[in-house]
Amino acid sequence: MSANFSAIIRATVFIVIALVLCGIIFEIAGYPGIQTFDAIIDGAFLRRNALEHALRWALPLFITATGVVISFRAGYFNIGAQGQFYVGAICAAFVAEWLKGYPGAVVVPLCFVAGTAGGALWALWPGLLRLRSGADEVITTLMGNFLAGLLLVYVTAGPLKDPSGSGQQASSRPLEAAYRISTSNGVSPTIIGIAIFVGLAMWFLVNRTAFGVLSGLGGRNPTMVQWQGASVWRIGLASFLISGALAGLAGTIELMGPNGRLAGGFLPAHGFTAVLIALVAGLSITGTAIAAFFFGGLASAALYLPVIAGLPSAAIDIINAAIALFITAKSRFVDRLANIWRRPWTTS
Amino acid sequence: MDDIVIAILRSGTPLVYVALAGVIAQRSGIWHLGLEGLMITGACATIVGTVLTGSVGLSLLIAILLCALGSVLFWLVVEILKANQIIAGLGLTGLGLGGTSLAIQAIFGSQGAVSAPAGLPKIGAAFGAYGGLSVLVLAMPFIVFLTWVLLCRTRFGLRLAASGEHPFAARSVGAKPAVMRLVALVIGGAFCALAGAELAAGSLQIFSQNMTAGRGFMGFAAVIFGAGHPIWATFAALFFAIVGAIGIRAQLVFGDRIPHDLLLGLPYIATVFGIWLSARLRGGARGATGGFGELKDP
Amino acid sequence: MKEPPDVVLACRNIYVTYGEVVALDDVSINFRGGMIHAVVGQNGAGKTTFARTVAGLVRPATGSLEINGRPIPGGNVNDARSAGVELVHQSFALPPSFTVAEAMQFGADGGRLYTRAALERRWQAHLDALDVKVRAGAQIRSLTVEQQQAVEIARALVTDASLLILDEPTAVLSPEGADKLFERIRRLKERGVTIILILHKIREVLAVSDTVSVLRGGQLIDGPLPAADIDAETLASLIIGPSGRAIAEEDRNSLTGATPPTTDGAATTAVTSAPMLSLTNVTTLSDGDGPPLDSVDLTVHAGEIVGVAGVEGNGQRTLVRAISALADVASGTLEIDGHDMADSSLLSRRALGLRVIPFERNVEGLSLTSPLWENWSVGRLLSKPLHAAIRPDGLRRDCRAAFDDWDVRYSNVEQRAGSLSGGNAQKVILSREMDDAARLIVAAQPTRGLDIGATAFVWDALRDARQRGCGVVFVSSDLDEIFDVADRVVVMFAGRVVAEFCAPFDLATVGSAMTGAQA
Repeated sequence: MSANFSAIIRATVFIVIALVLCGIIFEIAGYPGIQTFDAIIDGAFLRRNALEHALRWALPLFITATGVVISFRAGYFNIGAQGQFYVGAICAAFVAEWLKGYPGAVVVPLCFVAGTAGGALWALWPGLLRLRSGADEVITTLMGNFLAGLLLVYVTAGPLKDPSGSGQQASSRPLEAAYRISTSNGVSPTIIGIAIFVGLAMWFLVNRTAFGVLSGLGGRNPTMVQWQGASVWRIGLASFLISGALAGLAGTIELMGPNGRLAGGFLPAHGFTAVLIALVAGLSITGTAIAAFFFGGLASAALYLPVIAGLPSAAIDIINAAIALFITAKSRFVDRLANIWRRPWTTS
Repeated sequence: MDDIVIAILRSGTPLVYVALAGVIAQRSGIWHLGLEGLMITGACATIVGTVLTGSVGLSLLIAILLCALGSVLFWLVVEILKANQIIAGLGLTGLGLGGTSLAIQAIFGSQGAVSAPAGLPKIGAAFGAYGGLSVLVLAMPFIVFLTWVLLCRTRFGLRLAASGEHPFAARSVGAKPAVMRLVALVIGGAFCALAGAELAAGSLQIFSQNMTAGRGFMGFAAVIFGAGHPIWATFAALFFAIVGAIGIRAQLVFGDRIPHDLLLGLPYIATVFGIWLSARLRGGARGATGGFGELKDP
Repeated sequence: MKEPPDVVLACRNIYVTYGEVVALDDVSINFRGGMIHAVVGQNGAGKTTFARTVAGLVRPATGSLEINGRPIPGGNVNDARSAGVELVHQSFALPPSFTVAEAMQFGADGGRLYTRAALERRWQAHLDALDVKVRAGAQIRSLTVEQQQAVEIARALVTDASLLILDEPTAVLSPEGADKLFERIRRLKERGVTIILILHKIREVLAVSDTVSVLRGGQLIDGPLPAADIDAETLASLIIGPSGRAIAEEDRNSLTGATPPTTDGAATTAVTSAPMLSLTNVTTLSDGDGPPLDSVDLTVHAGEIVGVAGVEGNGQRTLVRAISALADVASGTLEIDGHDMADSSLLSRRALGLRVIPFERNVEGLSLTSPLWENWSVGRLLSKPLHAAIRPDGLRRDCRAAFDDWDVRYSNVEQRAGSLSGGNAQKVILSREMDDAARLIVAAQPTRGLDIGATAFVWDALRDARQRGCGVVFVSSDLDEIFDVADRVVVMFAGRVVAEFCAPFDLATVGSAMTGAQA
């Protein structure tokens, strides 16, 4: 437990450093730093219904982030959650379009199957390239994000285009009401239920199965598990597929829940935020739940800021980026600080 | 024919500069995924600077300074705080993308594109059809050559490479790998500023949000495709540019028969191909670098 | 040649600490010029730290250094180098992708801008002058271990070095290679260079050095003593110290390399039991990780320890990887306990009782950032399907029990493997690999980097395994320990098994086989 505790202290210290850096950037840009943070906290957690709004963003983020945890733990830097999220949503949208008119009880589960499979598929090819040839997955999944973004633009402006749509942003035809799993507020028993199920299943997978322990060991030291006879191939492929499937699931939820349709470039920061959540959580599933709620609050504040406080929503992107910059940092000074706190109640 | 070559040079030059920045960082032992963020900072600073000061030269200087500053920040985080290079690099990229969009909002009050009254100087009518290219395109081969000399034919280059490949060996002849990396990142930062300046002010004289569209990452892929060698990385970057130019050409030829959004994806596919091919030829690229921080054993 | 000053290197009250570990504890010593000085001690005694401190790579917490009468601020390589100190590292500090000429150039002064031809001409002359037979254009990674060492020495002499320190230079050499090295060192001494040799074999100390100093536990026990006045027995007890009294006489000698080993092994009776492992005509594909195996025959019976000797990098690693299904076998048969296993996975080989103690303890053996119990339970987890549910509490309990059996010193099974000392870390690996189901144990350099107590522990563990009827393959580049522990010795050279010896072993014969003389 104490090791976790000092990890929390370390994360907190570096998040504070990141926020100070953001404050300086805000000041230079001419937005008073303190007031900006005040507005962000207000928008994220304090205003009316803020917690519900935070939850709306947190649930899909949590699902994608657990997927990121699975692949990062296994040592694979699948940065492609964004693309897998898009492809999942696109596949689900196509199924909903083809089966239009069938009852929701048939179509909705099939959409989920298609969305999850689509996400897994978009993680499959970088996974194969990595495991078969050693092609670096950081670049391939990043390129996959750009490709999926273009695919989304193509789909919303082409096959699934909403002819009645106006404005610059192309979008797909809205889903039938019978296929929606939540209203646009994005919080419904179905979505909460899915998130809880995913959370429990992934916690079990990580902590209570051979896969969980072996993928963790292999992620920290692949050579060692190979010398023990592990097939890095199977563990790696499973990790890629699970992480892609979960991102695809989150995309399906966004489509069938709050959004109700596809739009070119929707939720552009989803994948990167999920990566951050996983890292802030120290790649633990329980930590991911807490961190997802925090970043869900920030995501909801991003919408609120321009309206209420006159701040660009890029402020949230900057906060996220600064946290990414520092979250994996290590410092002997901070460790010592954490140790001072720890010492009284540890014996060894 | 001329227009294709011009298109390739226009889109290829920023990629070459950013790839050179990546090569220098790579040799010193840093996987630089922050190139994209530095590049967009350079692009933004050049255009906004020109709007505000009226001087292209001055704003190019500001762009270089800002990118150098960003590089120092990146160095502090990965070298002193030992952060994971990949995650910190993505953070730097996010900071560049978010910071430029915040800056546009703060200065001009909207997030729309900004156009500058002047662009980079052109090489002039003496070059005929190519006269519309900027001086940075003309300078590119010389800069590539100078980088090659610096990296492959000087003692500094050897010590830089040793800092990346075998830091202990570098230390035992008195070189300081941490300092070498700082120097490498700052030089790379300046190259990123040039890349951004060429992208934004080379021909269009416009800055818009996220206009780099992954070019920084492509530059990084060119580093891997080019095995960390300045000349080969240059060819790799030009290869990506050629594929992009073919895509644009194909749009003109095929019209609507092939969706143009998918043709836009060709450079990204070429990048994946390049990464795959270099992994096939030389084994996994990851072997050469540590940089996995906490997630991996020392 | 000008007369060397009386005291070339003077160290006063040097303390070096790594975190909470004291590596050098109040070391004060003077070395006189123009001589060959040996510094000896067991692993972990502080020898390498001492060498690195003098070379400026490690900054002492307190204390002062004087070189040729000039005070040198600690912890600065450039200061130490300009004062004439050069260090040849045990695992060479040469970037593998560099050419020999580049490796010379990056440590040299001048010639900031060069062409490749000029560079190679300049350094070829330097290499020729030192009688190092290597092409200046050759890549470091293509050189043999002996050549790399020669290049590293040549690199150290690119400046006008007056004090050359060699850190365990003989560890990677055959006995003949060591003799050649000593010859080279004597020639340098004649040129007026003062030499400090970090060694751990008494035999070599007495053969080459003028004085000897002994380090133990970071403290200077004695020295510099004139080498002529000291005998092997005294030196051995200085090195081992009072804690080593329990170690058997025979082991004491081979632990310190005191006398040329001619031991008769333990069980020299003709082995009639069934072969546990038999390789027939095994050739592997080249994969860039050491030389491939070339028609290797090897048989290991139950109840015997077969030593695999050879200069490092002659295919021992490939052999172990081939047995562990980590290198691709191109042709030949590989049988474990009578089953043809050439194409089967490591997991199915492990199911037959194969256990491997890999070369690199901290990379291949353990995940340093993972908890001890996870490290210990990998093998068990791998015997289940990936999706199988596990009970971590049960695994942790079994892990504690196994650690208690093997006398592992630890505080908590949740602690990271990296927090253990080398000896304890190796015991964790032993407790994992030498379980009751083990029948064929491949131990690759299992004592590397361990102190004398831990080394003796590993030897005893291997002998116990033999007693229980296991077949043991024992790979080591240290002939003393191979002769002491093994019943039979095979020698590898360039990917082939070139010779096989039964006890009693003769150092000279086995040593010359290591250089490929019989091939």
